[in-house]
Amino acid sequence: MAAAETKPRRDGAGGAGSLAAPLALLMRLVDWPMRALQRLIGERRMAYVFILPNLAFFSLFVFLPLLINFVFSVTGGAGLFPSERPFVGAQQYGYLFDCGSFLDPSSCREDHFWRGVANTARFTIFQVTAMVLLSLLTAVVLNMKIRARGFFRAVYFFPVLLSPVVVALTWKWILQRDGLLNAAITSLGGERILFLVDPGWAMFWIVFVSIWAHMGFYTLILLAGLQAIPADLYEAAEMDATPRWRVFWRITLPLLWPNMIVVIVLALIRGVQTFDEVFVLTGGGPGTATLMIVHYIYETAFANQVQNFGLAAAASVVLGVVLFALTLAQLAASRRKGAA
Amino acid sequence: MAELKLSGVRKAYGATTVLHGIDLEVADGEFVVFVGPSGCGKSTLLRSIAGLEEITGGTIAIDGVDATHLPASERGLAMVFQSYALYPHMSVYANMAFALENMGLQRAEIDRRVQRAAGMLRLTDYLDRKPKALSGGQRQRVAIGRAIVRDPKIFLFDEPLSNLDAELRVATRKELAALHGEIGGTMIYVTHDQVEAMTLADRIVVLQGGRIEQVGTPLDLYNRPDNLFVAGFIGSPRMNLLPGRVTEPGKVALGEAGHEVACETGLLASGAAVTLGIRPEHLALAPEGRGLPLAIELVERLGGESYLYGRSAGLPQITLRLDGQSGHERGSTVALAFPQQSLHLFDEAGQSVRI
Repeated sequence: MAAAETKPRRDGAGGAGSLAAPLALLMRLVDWPMRALQRLIGERRMAYVFILPNLAFFSLFVFLPLLINFVFSVTGGAGLFPSERPFVGAQQYGYLFDCGSFLDPSSCREDHFWRGVANTARFTIFQVTAMVLLSLLTAVVLNMKIRARGFFRAVYFFPVLLSPVVVALTWKWILQRDGLLNAAITSLGGERILFLVDPGWAMFWIVFVSIWAHMGFYTLILLAGLQAIPADLYEAAEMDATPRWRVFWRITLPLLWPNMIVVIVLALIRGVQTFDEVFVLTGGGPGTATLMIVHYIYETAFANQVQNFGLAAAASVVLGVVLFALTLAQLAASRRKGAA
Repeated sequence: MAELKLSGVRKAYGATTVLHGIDLEVADGEFVVFVGPSGCGKSTLLRSIAGLEEITGGTIAIDGVDATHLPASERGLAMVFQSYALYPHMSVYANMAFALENMGLQRAEIDRRVQRAAGMLRLTDYLDRKPKALSGGQRQRVAIGRAIVRDPKIFLFDEPLSNLDAELRVATRKELAALHGEIGGTMIYVTHDQVEAMTLADRIVVLQGGRIEQVGTPLDLYNRPDNLFVAGFIGSPRMNLLPGRVTEPGKVALGEAGHEVACETGLLASGAAVTLGIRPEHLALAPEGRGLPLAIELVERLGGESYLYGRSAGLPQITLRLDGQSGHERGSTVALAFPQQSLHLFDEAGQSVRI
């Protein structure tokens, strides 16, 4: 038996076969020290040894930057290193929240931050609502036995593979003053529309382009959810003479709810973080009509003549807290739904 | 309740035909079981009756009305699925009330029907629970309750006990039989388990390869199988089927030694190849040296009965049922007698030879 276990596999898996010998050697090399370590610290503590590499990586690239960001938010000055920055306490947060009325960004000391908040909120509400509904509709249609279903699934997912900058440049080429869309409109006798200059149109198009670029991803999640619903539930509903709308409302939607929660949370987070597409497409303009929070943070920290790392870091912390709260709220909602 | 008539029902998936012209009538209140091995078409036939599969040819009439092209929702039938198909996010009550809400019944009427079915199925204490909080047997009862509340024309059961453990299967089988006695509905039940078929059915339909092999009462099928397939399928352990040859009218020779067995051979000519069938419980022990010698290879003692498995030269393995206290051991030899009244003879084509 032992001989059979140690016998090398010759099942045609050439790649796996060629890796087997070095892997076996590696395993033999680490076997003795790992056993010695286990004897030293005990079996239970070995779990920490195994998660240590990932924890170290995560700490270095996630937790440490978070901590540094927080340190920046409570320090002032123009220095880059924390040691060069004087402690100012909550002063940066005070600047951010120094407002006559929170409903009127122009009454705030950092009016661009609050315009970013208002624009991001507006963008997120429209974008998430429309995208979730469209993704759901698309997933439902792509889950039906339609012709060329595989082709359409690929088509809807394709934009997800593109870089946000490529997406934005492509659409800029279509939407700019002398772009493809205006060419089509004028060729039909219409007048040019300044899609990226008019504040209303600009907001509409950044929502549209964002949905176009990301919808495939959410459609995929919902499609997976739809396919996980057992077919016999629909057959049972058919035997129960259930109208189609009621099947959707009473069976599909409740069973898809966990996926919907995931989609809503992810879309909300991505919506609040939106930056690159809008930055390339409109640059936050016209004026500050499409300025988003992350864009404000970027400009405050890096693009303005006076680089204010502390204020940008404080805005990042505020954004992080909002995202954290949103995620907690959504997870709580999904848990309540699951327990009900 | 209703009667059902299938005429020449055919079903094909592309070039593959799975039902080859099924003709069958089910009377009002009858409990009919479709039985057969995996892939014989029994579930497809049930789903075709339900309206979940569009048939390729033939007609389906329910209570004299052509339902061939009616959607499932308009046939007025209820189905209990193998997987139960309970709506996992709804309570037991909501599962049972769902179809009634679709029918637009008043809340009070819905409640009356659900409570009545729950009472019959001992589910009253579980009405607020979700399916995941129920045992397999309870889920099965909810699925049956969901069918009962609708008061359907015909109940369809698609292998409803196959997900239950052996003990629960026996208990639920008895409950189903009692339920049929209580509500008296027309029921069509699919199973691959011939014990379920024998114990539940008024009539059994044996299917193989998309064709009906035989239709009859359980005892009809047990006592007078039409062909080798039915003979081998009905009865547990299966019937011993022994190849032989007619030596002269009324005599069949078995095995290498040509052991002669007295048997009605009908119109078969001498020299005709036949298969002699005899159930394990019908084989008897002959005085030593006078019957077919059987070398015992395995003994299974079940207490009340013992099964002996053995070989005789030139014959397939033979199963013999004896009293549970039988002292025969592996390696010993017994002589077998073939009581003439328990024999079944099949011709070369596998059809029963009847006088």
